[in-house]
Amino acid sequence: MIYQHDTGNPRNLPHFDQSLIWSAIFLLSLGLVMVYSASISIAEAGRSTNGYPAYFLVRHGAYLAAGLVAGLIAFQIPMRLWQKYAFHLFLLGVLLLVLVLVPGIGREVNGSRRWISLLVVNFQPSEFMKLFMVIYVANYTVRKAAYLGNFRKGFLPMLIVMLMVGLLLLLEPDFGSFVVITAIMMAILFLGGINLKLFTGLIGFVVMGLLTLIWVEPYRMQRFFGFLDPWDDPYGKGYQLSHALIAFGRGEWLGVGLGGSVEKLFYLPEAHTDFLLAVIAEELGFAGVATVVALFACLIIRAFVIGRQAALRERFFPALLAQGIGVWLGVQAFINMGVNMGVLPTKGLTLPLMSFGGSSIVVSCLALALLLRVDWENRQLMKGYVV
Amino acid sequence: MTSSRLPYIALPAGRSRLLVALLLLGLAGLAGRAAYLQGMHNGFLQQKGESRHSRVIEMSAHRGMITDRHGEPLAISTPVESVWSSPQDVNATPEQLKKLASLIGTDIEEVRKRLDGSQRGPGRDFVYLKRHLPPDVAAKVVELNIPGIFLKREYRRYYPAGELTAHMLGFTDVDDNGQEGIELAWQDDLAGQPGSRRVIKDRKGRIVEDVENIRPPRSGRNVALSIDSKIQYLAYRELKQAVEANKAKAGGIVVLDAQTGEVMALVNLPAYNPNNRVGMKGSRFRNRALTDVFEPGSTLKPFTIAAALEAGGIKPDTVFQTAPGTFSIGKATIRDAHKEDALTVAQVIQKSSNIGSAKIALSLPPQALWEMLSDAGFGAPTGTGFPGEVSGKLRPYRTWRPIEQATMSYGHGISVSLLQLARAYTLFSSAGELKPVSLLRLDTPMEGKRVLSRDTAHAVSEMLEMVAQPGGTAPQARIDGYRVAGKTGTAHKPEGNGYAKNRYLSTFVGYAPASSPRFVIAVMLDEPSAGKYFGGAVAAPVFNRVMAGALRIRNVPHDAPSTSVMSITAALPLKGDV
Repeated sequence: MIYQHDTGNPRNLPHFDQSLIWSAIFLLSLGLVMVYSASISIAEAGRSTNGYPAYFLVRHGAYLAAGLVAGLIAFQIPMRLWQKYAFHLFLLGVLLLVLVLVPGIGREVNGSRRWISLLVVNFQPSEFMKLFMVIYVANYTVRKAAYLGNFRKGFLPMLIVMLMVGLLLLLEPDFGSFVVITAIMMAILFLGGINLKLFTGLIGFVVMGLLTLIWVEPYRMQRFFGFLDPWDDPYGKGYQLSHALIAFGRGEWLGVGLGGSVEKLFYLPEAHTDFLLAVIAEELGFAGVATVVALFACLIIRAFVIGRQAALRERFFPALLAQGIGVWLGVQAFINMGVNMGVLPTKGLTLPLMSFGGSSIVVSCLALALLLRVDWENRQLMKGYVV
Repeated sequence: MTSSRLPYIALPAGRSRLLVALLLLGLAGLAGRAAYLQGMHNGFLQQKGESRHSRVIEMSAHRGMITDRHGEPLAISTPVESVWSSPQDVNATPEQLKKLASLIGTDIEEVRKRLDGSQRGPGRDFVYLKRHLPPDVAAKVVELNIPGIFLKREYRRYYPAGELTAHMLGFTDVDDNGQEGIELAWQDDLAGQPGSRRVIKDRKGRIVEDVENIRPPRSGRNVALSIDSKIQYLAYRELKQAVEANKAKAGGIVVLDAQTGEVMALVNLPAYNPNNRVGMKGSRFRNRALTDVFEPGSTLKPFTIAAALEAGGIKPDTVFQTAPGTFSIGKATIRDAHKEDALTVAQVIQKSSNIGSAKIALSLPPQALWEMLSDAGFGAPTGTGFPGEVSGKLRPYRTWRPIEQATMSYGHGISVSLLQLARAYTLFSSAGELKPVSLLRLDTPMEGKRVLSRDTAHAVSEMLEMVAQPGGTAPQARIDGYRVAGKTGTAHKPEGNGYAKNRYLSTFVGYAPASSPRFVIAVMLDEPSAGKYFGGAVAAPVFNRVMAGALRIRNVPHDAPSTSVMSITAALPLKGDV
């Protein structure tokens, strides 16, 4: 499976990874349909939407178009340029994270300062920071490869970066993005061959840190433990989750049919964003959920395969980048779906490629474009071209 | 990409495999969790869902119609819309609220108060804003398109005949339950059974799906009254005119079918408009003909005579001394309004002599008189089932003193309702049988109860005919072409322990045509104060017009010669009566 494209004449290879592209297209399309289905009633009743039922559909479609354009552009840029400007991008990301905290620039919604208003759309820096972190950490790991066994030279700088970015994210606060970015960083360090003792120490440190954060802020405590038994307080802390679970239960194996969800009728908050999977579960049943899970599994496998193929050609930065993207999409999808099913505490994390949200969709498309670029460069090399 | 070719770098394949395996394992776990939630735990979750989405809603049932005996509608339910809200879901601009308040005719502050979120609680997801709006106004409320504001179909009672039938029908409250009159008495028949169905609602309370019909609404049954609208109208018109002309405080008319005992008309004044009862006092709602009692006065004399005739001691032509116009029993003195020296039994009725009546009564054992009055239905309810119907007061004969027996014979010391009085006269109109009365139309007449012998009944009936003839107390009751029988009554109203000097209750009870009676009509006017107060002058003309009209409406054939023949035998009428 992994090396299937190495058989036969390399010059006859397709230009792209077919299963990666089709998985992505399927997820994006299903996302568009489900965002529409989940949002019709909300849009119709909303004042900010002027009662226009396709409000979210039109916007989501526009985001997808923007993502496609951004992806096409990103695809044209060679890996060496991405690597060259990795640090600049990182600085840009940090700058944005600082800006979002500045009153007057950052927009506060539901007690979180996560958005920068750009005329028609709201721009979410933490989503872009995820991509920039993948690029930056991949580059860092490659640069510091010689010192990955050394605490002071190889480990400490990364730790400081992590604490700084983490602090900015927690000031918003955006705990979910913090978890995802931490996971990306640790995974890339791990894949890059970091000393296992240091890594174990890092894990211990991170776990301690997370627990401390949860302990310090009571609302995180509530969120953290609320998911364990949503029926204990189904109209209070457990409200959102209990409705998500009801949606799963109503869906059964084959679902109540597209458009038939009752939970999306104002019961389930965030039905078209964070809890889109619950609507999928209700309308398309287990079959729909299993399809989404399988498509994400396919994405992850392809990302890792592309990464390994790059690694075999000693193209270490693209290799880590591809696998980092795989970890990112995988971890975020896992957390979002876990939250929907009540196995993880509630976070403000979107389902990548599917949930409504401009920044999330555009960044997801960029990530896919980079993945395809790595793959394309692999194929060019295989065909004997120079990249 | 020379920079990546550093000597120390190595990307261990094992770590990559481990990581991808972990991620895939996590996803597999999620798939398992989804299978558990959707395939195994779904029963529990669906039940939880039902408790939040699914609601049983009630469907109002149509209340039965009340009609007169010919099917003419007297009380009908028309669909109206009630505006209610689920305050926590209301999301309205001040502009919308203002429009809403003006549409439903409620003060905007009141609307705000009802929608106030601070009164939130488990029971606060249903608040009426306005009951019973006309459908066209309700449609405008819908056009405002305010979330959390809804309509509910209800029914409002409408009484086409207005105050004509107000006392008879009573009315319903805002929830369509009978409160008075027929509406209350036949509530169980009239009220439908509300249906219910299970629906799925969205969180804003709108129905998104019909799940099942639990019970279809069952409409209430129609109730057909014995009332004849035309006669009812006639009686009301005449009563109103008489009450106004005589400046009476109140009045009532009961028209019975002499053959079946069905109530053809029953009216009271003062009346009220049942379609708009705002600010009405409760006393206006009383159906006086059924729920109020009064001392009947001379209209009771025929029963004294009948008791005496039945006992066999006297005959219609037996003469009693009535000179000198006063008669003392112990300290009390009985007077006649018009002094006569001697009167036959028949003349005692014709001229309404108190002394004659007292002497006849005193010739009887108290028990015989008591039994007569009791058999005539006094002192017991008439059995119409009308709410609040009274039985009147007929004291046990063992407690009677002679003076009481004497005054009772001409209708004092006893209290009756107008309906009781009218019914008692069926004894004379139907040859001695007491007819049961009915407020509902009867398909087969009920059996009467024989109280008097045919001979006695005929004898008294003949005396009653003399009342409406020249020389009687109520020549004004006479109707051209018909033989009319009846009796006047003019009673001083009780006041404190005695009787008021100049406050009267004037009555006339009679039936026609006397040869084969069709209607029994009782007329009562309370405190006529425009000068005239004798029953023959105040109540008899009303009787005359109502009876004449009713006979005409029913095309009842004449049983007497025409006016020209009568005028030959006409004599000077007696002045006044008692």
